[in-house]
Amino acid sequence: MSLIPEIDPGGWRAALSRRIARSRELVRDTEPDALAVGAVGTVALAGAFVGFLTTSRYTSVAVLAFLLAVAYGWVFHQELAARGVTLAMTASTVLILSLITVFIFVEAWPILADRSGRVFGVPVPGLELFTTTQWTPAVSEPKYSMLPMIQGTILVTIIATAVAGPLGVAAALFLSEIAPGPVREVVKPGVEILAGIPSIVYGFLGFTVLSPWASDQFDLVGQGTYLFVGIVVGLMALPTVVSVAEDAINSVPESMKSGSLALGTTDWQTMTTITIPAAFSGVSAAVLLGVGRAIGETMAATVMLRNTPTIAEPLYNVFYGFDTLTSLIAANYGSSSGLQKDALFVAGCILFLSVLVLSIGSQLIEERMEQQLGRGE
Amino acid sequence: MTSDQERSTDRVSRRNFLLSSAAVGTAAGLAGCSGGGSTDTPEPSGGDGGDGGDSTPTATPEPDSTPTEESTPTSGGDGGSNPNEPSLLTGEGSSTVYPIANKGASYWNGNAPPSDGEYWGANDSGSVPGWGEIETDMHLADYFASQYGFEPTETRSSPPYRATIGLSHSGTGCEAVTNGLVDIGNSSGPITAELDWTEEKASEEVVDHVLGRDGQPIVVSKDIYDAGIDQLTAEQVRGIYQDEITNWSEIGGPDQEIFCIGRAVGSGTDTSFRLNMLGDAEAEMPGVDTRQGQNQGVAQLVRQNEGAIAYMALAFTGEQVQPIALEFDGTVYQTSKDAENTIFDSSYPLNRDLHMYTQITEDTPNGTDNREGAFCRMFLTTFGQKVFVEDNNYIPLPTADIEAELEKLPDTA
Repeated sequence: MSLIPEIDPGGWRAALSRRIARSRELVRDTEPDALAVGAVGTVALAGAFVGFLTTSRYTSVAVLAFLLAVAYGWVFHQELAARGVTLAMTASTVLILSLITVFIFVEAWPILADRSGRVFGVPVPGLELFTTTQWTPAVSEPKYSMLPMIQGTILVTIIATAVAGPLGVAAALFLSEIAPGPVREVVKPGVEILAGIPSIVYGFLGFTVLSPWASDQFDLVGQGTYLFVGIVVGLMALPTVVSVAEDAINSVPESMKSGSLALGTTDWQTMTTITIPAAFSGVSAAVLLGVGRAIGETMAATVMLRNTPTIAEPLYNVFYGFDTLTSLIAANYGSSSGLQKDALFVAGCILFLSVLVLSIGSQLIEERMEQQLGRGE
Repeated sequence: MTSDQERSTDRVSRRNFLLSSAAVGTAAGLAGCSGGGSTDTPEPSGGDGGDGGDSTPTATPEPDSTPTEESTPTSGGDGGSNPNEPSLLTGEGSSTVYPIANKGASYWNGNAPPSDGEYWGANDSGSVPGWGEIETDMHLADYFASQYGFEPTETRSSPPYRATIGLSHSGTGCEAVTNGLVDIGNSSGPITAELDWTEEKASEEVVDHVLGRDGQPIVVSKDIYDAGIDQLTAEQVRGIYQDEITNWSEIGGPDQEIFCIGRAVGSGTDTSFRLNMLGDAEAEMPGVDTRQGQNQGVAQLVRQNEGAIAYMALAFTGEQVQPIALEFDGTVYQTSKDAENTIFDSSYPLNRDLHMYTQITEDTPNGTDNREGAFCRMFLTTFGQKVFVEDNNYIPLPTADIEAELEKLPDTA
């Protein structure tokens, strides 16, 4: 089992037969009752899944059978059962996530099909959602443009990044390189606790304190600005950025820094020329994580914005805040139906895709950082 | 006359019920023991309500007649007449209907005794509104539930079945009731508009109980009200919401840009405002600066911002959020309750019905089962209209409407 078989490239037939041989071996080596229970458990779990999808009333029977199989296996073949159960749990996690993803896109499909446009004669589903600029779901010829919300999300995200990025990286640098040990021991957990404050608390502060104040100071008609939503969301993302960036800076090998210091540089020169460049990809990953949080932030945006999807003019006007993709969903899910509801799912799809890109991006960067540092040593 | 007749049929059916339920068996017998325990002290003090045990056999409304009628064979079947414990009554929906429904549910769950005086019944310090029509010696929920054959509990805080009201949105409430998730779906707009149904489908699927009305007064922020804007014409309001008027100075107010507050697109409030004020449920409203999902949010925005105008449920107005009079088709509807035409009138054009929908099922072809019927009946008394509707700043129903609504409920037992 522990031997890794040498796979001759292209010889999938050999690989297959080896796999079959290994399964045979497994079947032969395993006690028959364990095999039977494993089979029963697998079938029951699959049955429960099918029953769940078809909303069968016998789903509970299948679940019960699975639980009994697990219980039996746990008592008599604990090691095998644990392997099986953990595998099943991983598989179901992946399955549930993919079902959710598929569901979002299926729900969004009707409006995408309804509002398709043509580019050079090729039909593109949902194109009209991105070529109009109005969101007017309640009039006789409703228009569902995603552009106002995309603009809002982009503005809020940029402002939030501008707040969380510099502040977060600076704080991380201080905590990791400059602050004396005791300060670091106290401040870092403190910052991480900040990340746990529910977003509605920030949003409520923004709604009752910041927004009316901004409305007075900038002489705006009414309250709700992208600027202050961005600032609040940036503050919310700050703890994440600080924490992850601090880890990245901290993981720069001491030997690199010592080497630099030995050449006669000052602490500050070491930081700017060695530590930060070495940790750059980790720090970027931290900022990207913060950006991901800013994009997905819902409550603060919903309570502080105006919820009237409109494109702000000029495009960089941050003093009026209308809607983001998340606040659109939060403010309209209850009173929408039909195509309007499907349009909310489209907003969900856009969010899903952007966050997916961001999180894959930050993981790639992190991977690169590890490789680089590994080579550096 | 009629009440006598009612009483006798009531008693007969109850006896039959008790007889049949006697056969239910041991479980019922057990329940009967605990139920009968309270009747061990048959002192004829039935009027006090605390020990209503002896008054259970009849639903008769005269308190003085009950102690002598103990002869009805109760104690055995008393608790046993509940073979199917009535389940929790659930409701959900619009934040506008919520104050009425929730206050009703709270009173119901409190099941106050008739000696309470504040929530139910009368005592030395006063009586509840409309008590003269009720005059019972039963607890609050017991009184209404027993009209549909539910066994009174005679215990404070323990109604024959509990009622709970959730808070969401009109559309959600309508969907929840048609999906059978809740018993009552609260909606501030008609279900035909909320779920895009035809009238026909609506009448096949649900029964619409209108238990109160809501006006949508136009409100302005305090600074505007203090500057002398206490009345607008319908034409001016239209102009503001359609972006033709953008500054208060254009209509005789201070030089202040108008902060125009609307409601979530597609919400019941939004739809009926478009319909009643702008003349078309699909009218465009380009003048709206911000939209809020809930009345509380609107009220907060009006308090926090200068030059604000909004429309919202009457229940949320106050010192900082001033309702103003509206001139509509030549009639001025005043904000004072005593004026000839007021925004409380049912003829006020922005008034709308508040709906509590119940689902028509195979078991309840009339659309309203006994639990729902008893609960709704509570709102259709003088007591209910005053306490749950008017005290929440909503508009009580006129007598003719109350009678029409009572017709929709199942007959009392």
